[in-house]
Amino acid sequence: MDLMLILKAVGALAVIGVATSAVLAVAAKRFYVEVDPRIEAVLAALPGSNCGACGNPSCFMSAERMVAGDLAPNACVAGGQTVADAVALILGADACEAVAVVSARHCGGGDRAVRAYEYAGVRSCAAAARLAGGPLLCSAGCIGFGDCVRACPFDAMHLNERGLPVVDLEKCTGCGVCVKECPRGQISLLELVPEMAPVVVRCNAHDKVKARKQGCSACCIACKKCERACPSDAIHVIDMLAVVDYDKCTGCGACVEVCPQNCIDLFGRGGDAVALDGVGHGTGDTAAQETDVAGVAGAGA
Amino acid sequence: MSSVSQLALLFVGAALINNILLTRFIGLCPFFGVSSNMETSIGMSLSVIFVMVMSSTATWVVWEFVLAPLGVGEFLYIPAFILIIASLVQFVEMYLRKASPVLYRAMGIYLPLITTNCAVLATATEAAKPGFFKMNLAITNSAGALSLGEALVYTLGVSVGFGFALVTFAALRERLELAPVSRLMKGAPIAFITAGLLSLAYVGMSGWFGL
Repeated sequence: MDLMLILKAVGALAVIGVATSAVLAVAAKRFYVEVDPRIEAVLAALPGSNCGACGNPSCFMSAERMVAGDLAPNACVAGGQTVADAVALILGADACEAVAVVSARHCGGGDRAVRAYEYAGVRSCAAAARLAGGPLLCSAGCIGFGDCVRACPFDAMHLNERGLPVVDLEKCTGCGVCVKECPRGQISLLELVPEMAPVVVRCNAHDKVKARKQGCSACCIACKKCERACPSDAIHVIDMLAVVDYDKCTGCGACVEVCPQNCIDLFGRGGDAVALDGVGHGTGDTAAQETDVAGVAGAGA
Repeated sequence: MSSVSQLALLFVGAALINNILLTRFIGLCPFFGVSSNMETSIGMSLSVIFVMVMSSTATWVVWEFVLAPLGVGEFLYIPAFILIIASLVQFVEMYLRKASPVLYRAMGIYLPLITTNCAVLATATEAAKPGFFKMNLAITNSAGALSLGEALVYTLGVSVGFGFALVTFAALRERLELAPVSRLMKGAPIAFITAGLLSLAYVGMSGWFGL
């Protein structure tokens, strides 16, 4: 055992260690920079492994951007929900509200939409949409094979008896996977709307009203009755389609009452914490649906 | 004293032929971590060049004047170099943050990523104490060591090669985002395959100039 060598090694490492830490200690005081304490707090909440999965080069940068509001508090892939909650807590309620959206379907067609041809292929919306523009006459309507239902990671969607996807708002987190999956998500057949959105227009067609009526008996006919009935100036017919301004809408339901096509539905997670996605919840749509189903059955027989 | 052509060979060998990312597979974490867009990859490359040159200088000095004379370098070099590089980078980060916020924004944010990065440690070690990797050995003196100038040229070569590979890969990945890649392969899987093909291209250079 060469004791001298051990002493030398220990001594050398100790000297280097003490010297560098002294330099760092001095530098930490000398070069101290005031920063937003929230950045430090968010940084502490993040995993700190600088994995880059969120698209930012380091956790510090993510923390900065989260505090600045450029990056959603739930952007950390590695941290998941726990970290997202912690970050949202630090940044306050604003950050939480920014992500509180749910998915809404802008189509009431289903069995009331006229088929352009008999589709017998794979039961997938994506496949059907590629075949001559889809099996519906309406180019904006829901094809109804449930790609969104299968894609939903939270099991928040199901197809109702009319072949339309209904969102369980208690389960919907607004992740937007269904919107991406829907072949017509780009033209906002499915759209993320504010969680508290009280009504939703069940039509997304932008072609001529006459053509639209041939393709579907549930479409918006741009009659402007809703516009006139609305006491808070929140719904307008824009480009031949009723559009709700969720900043103004109070959820009084006047438009739902007057719509001759029953294509506006009560919706939303607001009110007395009732999760409601119009169809099948006792709105006009349900009544119309029942008579209509009977009508279709009669015609078939 | 080495001639200019030898230094050029040292540089090219370090940058391309023995590219640290694609033929030695060191420092793959930043290679995949910050290559998703061009802008960050360029920032990262610049900081890697900066940090590598700085840490090589520091480790060369410590090796030459502390570890080698004491005769403890052979078994102590890894902990000693980690200690030096980590604290040096920390120090530079603090200094940049105070002295030059602009520079800090451009590259300081990448510094925590590479404080104890394996590529930095490997390069700094190799510059101070060659022999672990195959290098152009004609250049080293009888003791198999590089002079400070040669060590710097070598480090510059490695870091420029690192940046070159990283930026190339980032450009490829940006295009891959738009390419019709099947859903099964999208993201990381296709990135790994692309990295493998890119690596083949670099491995193809091995043997040039006897390097």
